[in-house]
Amino acid sequence: MAGNRNSKYRTAAILAVIALGLFLYTLYAGLK
Amino acid sequence: MSDAAHAHDDHGHHAHPTGIMRWLSTTNHKDIGTLYLFFALIMLFVAGTMALLIRAELFQPGLQLMHPDFFNQLTTMHGLIMIFGVIMPAFSGFANWQVPLMLGAPDMAFPRMNNWAFWVLPVAAFFLMASFWLPGGAVAGGWTMYPPLFIQGGISYDLTILAVHIMGLSSIMGSINIVTTILNMRAPGLTLMKMPLFCWTWLITAYLLIATMPVLAGAVTMLLTDRNFGTHFFNAAGGGDPVMFQHIFWFFAHPEVYILILPAFGIVSQVIPTFARKPLFGYASMVYATASIAILSFVVWAHHMFTTGMPVAGQLFFMFSTMLIAVPTGVKVFNWVATMWKGSMTFETPMLFAIAFVCLFTIGGFSGLVLAIAPVDIQLQDTYYVVAHFHYVLVSGALFSIFAGIYYWLPKWTGHMYNETLGKWHFWLSAIGMNIVFFPMHFLGLAGMPRRIPDYALQFTEFNQIATVGAFIFGFSQLIFLVIVLKTIKGGAKAPARVWEGAEGLEWTVPSPAPYHTFEIAPVVK
Repeated sequence: MAGNRNSKYRTAAILAVIALGLFLYTLYAGLK
Repeated sequence: MSDAAHAHDDHGHHAHPTGIMRWLSTTNHKDIGTLYLFFALIMLFVAGTMALLIRAELFQPGLQLMHPDFFNQLTTMHGLIMIFGVIMPAFSGFANWQVPLMLGAPDMAFPRMNNWAFWVLPVAAFFLMASFWLPGGAVAGGWTMYPPLFIQGGISYDLTILAVHIMGLSSIMGSINIVTTILNMRAPGLTLMKMPLFCWTWLITAYLLIATMPVLAGAVTMLLTDRNFGTHFFNAAGGGDPVMFQHIFWFFAHPEVYILILPAFGIVSQVIPTFARKPLFGYASMVYATASIAILSFVVWAHHMFTTGMPVAGQLFFMFSTMLIAVPTGVKVFNWVATMWKGSMTFETPMLFAIAFVCLFTIGGFSGLVLAIAPVDIQLQDTYYVVAHFHYVLVSGALFSIFAGIYYWLPKWTGHMYNETLGKWHFWLSAIGMNIVFFPMHFLGLAGMPRRIPDYALQFTEFNQIATVGAFIFGFSQLIFLVIVLKTIKGGAKAPARVWEGAEGLEWTVPSPAPYHTFEIAPVVK
C-alpha cells in the first residue's frame, strides 16, 4: 500500500461515503 | 531508521505568497500545523478566562460577580470551546506537523482540503463567540446541547448548531486526510507495524471521527429542524423523545472522549521512550490496546444516562462494557511504566509532563471506573465528582500531553531550544495548580454539590475556595507557557537535527527547523 499514491482518491471516496451514509442514517433513525 | 533525509530549502523556481496570503492560501502541512496550534493556543486563553470567571464566581456562596444565566453561558461555552476549539485543533496541529514527517511523506494526501479544514474553524469560532453579543446571550444549556433547553433558546442556539456543523465538517475533512495519508503515503519499507505510535493513535482517532462526527451532525440537524421547521424529533409535546437525543448525542460523545485522549496516548508514547532511552515496551500490544479502546468506545454510551432509567440488563451491560475499557487502558499504563523501568531516565520538561500524564490520567481513569458502577453513578450524576473526573482526564490527560508534545517537538519546528528553567517552572506550577483545582472537587461531589450552579450551600465553601485559588495558580502559570513559546520562536540556542539523545524516527533525520519541504524523495526505511 505504501507508495501507491493513486489509490488515495479511492480511500478518500470510501471514507466520505461512509461519513455521508452515517449522517443520513442518523436522520433516518430519528424519523422512525 | 532511514539512510538519509532528503530535505532542502525553498525552491528557486516558484515564489511563495507572503504576509497574510501565505497563511490564507497555504497548502503546506507545516504551515497548517502551525495555524492549528496557534488557533488552539488563542482559544485556550479564551476558554481559560471563562474558567477563571466561573471559579471567581464560585469562590464564595451567593451571587458575587454575574447573573446566573451568564454563569450558565460561561460553563457551556467553556466546555464547547475547550473540546472543539482547543484540544481537537491542537491534536490536529500535531498531526499536520508530525504525521508526514514521521511517515517520510512530502505532505498530507490532500493539501488543499487541509487548508479548508483549518480555515473553516475560525469561522465556527466566530459564530460561537459572536453569540455572546446577541439578544439572550450565548448558549447556556450545557455543552451536551440537550433538549428541551436547546430547543427553547434564542438565535445563539442556531448559531451554535451552525458552528458545530462547521467544526464537524472540518474534523471529517482532516480525518479523511490523515487516514488517506497514513494508508497511502508511507515511505517504502515503513510498514504499518513499524509506524511510530503517534501515527497509529491518530489513524484510529481519525476513524473514530469519521464514524461519530456525522452522527453528531445528524443530531444537531434534528435539533435545528425542531427549532425552526416544526418537527418534533425531541419535543415531547409533539410526540418526540428528548431521551433519544441523549442516546444519539452520547453515541457520538463517548467516542469523542477517546478522540480527545488517543492522540495524547500517542504523544506520550513518543516522549517516554526518548527520555527513558529505551524502545517502547510492548509496541504491538499498544496498537491493539488503542484499537480495543476505540471499538469498546462505541458500546458504552448509555453509562452517561443511567439516571434516565433503563432496564437492569441495560445497566449491567453498559456498566461492565465501561469497566472493560480499563483493561486495554491498563495495558497502556503498564507499558509506559515498563518502558521507564531500568531506563537511563532524564527529566526534561516533556518527560515531566509525560510522567505527570501517566500518574494523573490514571487517577481520572480510576474515578471513571467509580462512575461506571451504575448504583454509584446514580448518586454522583451531575455532581462535582463528575467534573473532577473529566478534568483529570482532559487537563492532566489531554492538555498535559499537548504541553509534553509542544516542548518535545518545538525545537524541531522552530530550530531553537526552549528555556528549560522556565519550562520546569511551567510544569510544576501547572501540576500543583491543577491538583489544587480539581482534587477537592471529588470531595465536593461526594458531599453532593451539583455541577452547573453559580451558588451553593455554605458547607461547600472551603473546598470551593481552595479550588478557586488553584485555578488562578494554574491559569496564570499558562502565561509562562506563552512566554516560552514566543521566546523559542524568536530565538534561543540552536537545536540540532536530533534534538534529544534518545529520539528515534524519521522526523529527527531532517534539520531543525524542519525545512519548508521535506522528503520530496521518499526515504527508505529498513
